[in-house]
Amino acid sequence: MEGRPTDGDLFTRAQRGDKVAYEEIVRRYQEVAFRTAYVITGSSADAEDAAQEGLVKAYRALATFRTGAEPRPWLLRIVANEARNRARSAGRRHQLELRLAERFRPGDAAPSPEAAAVAAEDRSRLLAYVNGLSEEDRQVIASRYFLELSGEEAAAALGIPEGTVKSRLSRALARLRERVEESPHA
Amino acid sequence: MPEIAELERTLDLLREAIEWPATPPLAGRITARITAPAQASRAWFQSRWALAAVVVLLAIAGLIAYTPSRDAIASWINLHTSITRVNQLPTPSPLPSGPLGKRLGLGEPTTLAAAQAKVGWEILVPATLGRPDEVYFQLDAPSGEVNLVYKSRNGLKTSGQTGVAVLITEVSGNVDTNYFGKMLGQGTTIQDVTVNGHQGWWISGEPHEVFFADANGNFRSETLRLASNTLLIDEGGIIVRIEGDLTKTQALEMAASLS
Repeated sequence: MEGRPTDGDLFTRAQRGDKVAYEEIVRRYQEVAFRTAYVITGSSADAEDAAQEGLVKAYRALATFRTGAEPRPWLLRIVANEARNRARSAGRRHQLELRLAERFRPGDAAPSPEAAAVAAEDRSRLLAYVNGLSEEDRQVIASRYFLELSGEEAAAALGIPEGTVKSRLSRALARLRERVEESPHA
Repeated sequence: MPEIAELERTLDLLREAIEWPATPPLAGRITARITAPAQASRAWFQSRWALAAVVVLLAIAGLIAYTPSRDAIASWINLHTSITRVNQLPTPSPLPSGPLGKRLGLGEPTTLAAAQAKVGWEILVPATLGRPDEVYFQLDAPSGEVNLVYKSRNGLKTSGQTGVAVLITEVSGNVDTNYFGKMLGQGTTIQDVTVNGHQGWWISGEPHEVFFADANGNFRSETLRLASNTLLIDEGGIIVRIEGDLTKTQALEMAASLS
């Protein structure tokens, strides 16, 4: 049957040396790979290097990919490991600072109803609180809510067991809630 | 105080508003990287590869005992190890800094007796080397993994890859996943050997790459590193990996003296 090949088909073909199939895999995953690396490194330049190196390394390691396994966690694990290696490199520490897209920023030029303006203030404040969390809390929240990674994918990306993702996320949310509550605007 | 569920809903809504840096067009670049025969990102690696290419020219006639015909053919050798012959070795992960155990991913330092208490097999020690200088244990393999480190020994060189004379890794043969992985460039040879009637493989020549899988059998890319000459044997159900700048004779003597 004709149609868009599944990820599994592409991996099988890539394992046989089909570089075109691997290019399609990269096209499908480059955005989530790059953003995952960005969440870990906090630097778009490092994220670009990590995603590129990780995806090349994954190609070389395709023989280790088990048929039938989920490709997304497998790829994200390799890219995230690259990102962590870069983040650990001496003298290259960046703190992730997520930003609102311009049209969502408060006080934007376009006139907006009062309700929308308030919502924009809320979004901006909440993102500032997320940015102010510890690296561990920030990464787990960004992985689950902003990158929409599954538990398995977040575990692969963060290099921790899936159960730890859940407990870490629960603690991170509790700390975020405390910050929101302590806010004079709460 | 907002409910957690409400906070989660707000975070979900926030997702749409986040401005990510533009995703670079990686697909074309990566295809170029995996297609080009020698486009490594590090100068030292390029020079190493150039050397390996010379070795291939000299050795191609007969030194390679194991010669899969394609560049990415994996072969099970029944030692929970995949061996892949590649045209170009991937860039190894930078070794973490810190003490030896962390740098080489050996686990936590321990003693022989304490490691013995944690595993279900009799830890094998080569009589030719005696007691190890350091012992490490980790749980990445389902039945645990024991590493014996010999920092220096008379007549043995320090390995440029590990910084020690001999590194011996032992896991139980009950490991039911593909635990060790090796990638060999064309300058590395692999030969069948027999030690005390047990099957084994001797991998030598240009440094090859070794990596480990986690308990789920997933490739742990952070463990990808260059390895010196290695003897891999199934010693009565215990998989033993002996690594060092060793000659084949030295490695086989060590393996034959395991008890």
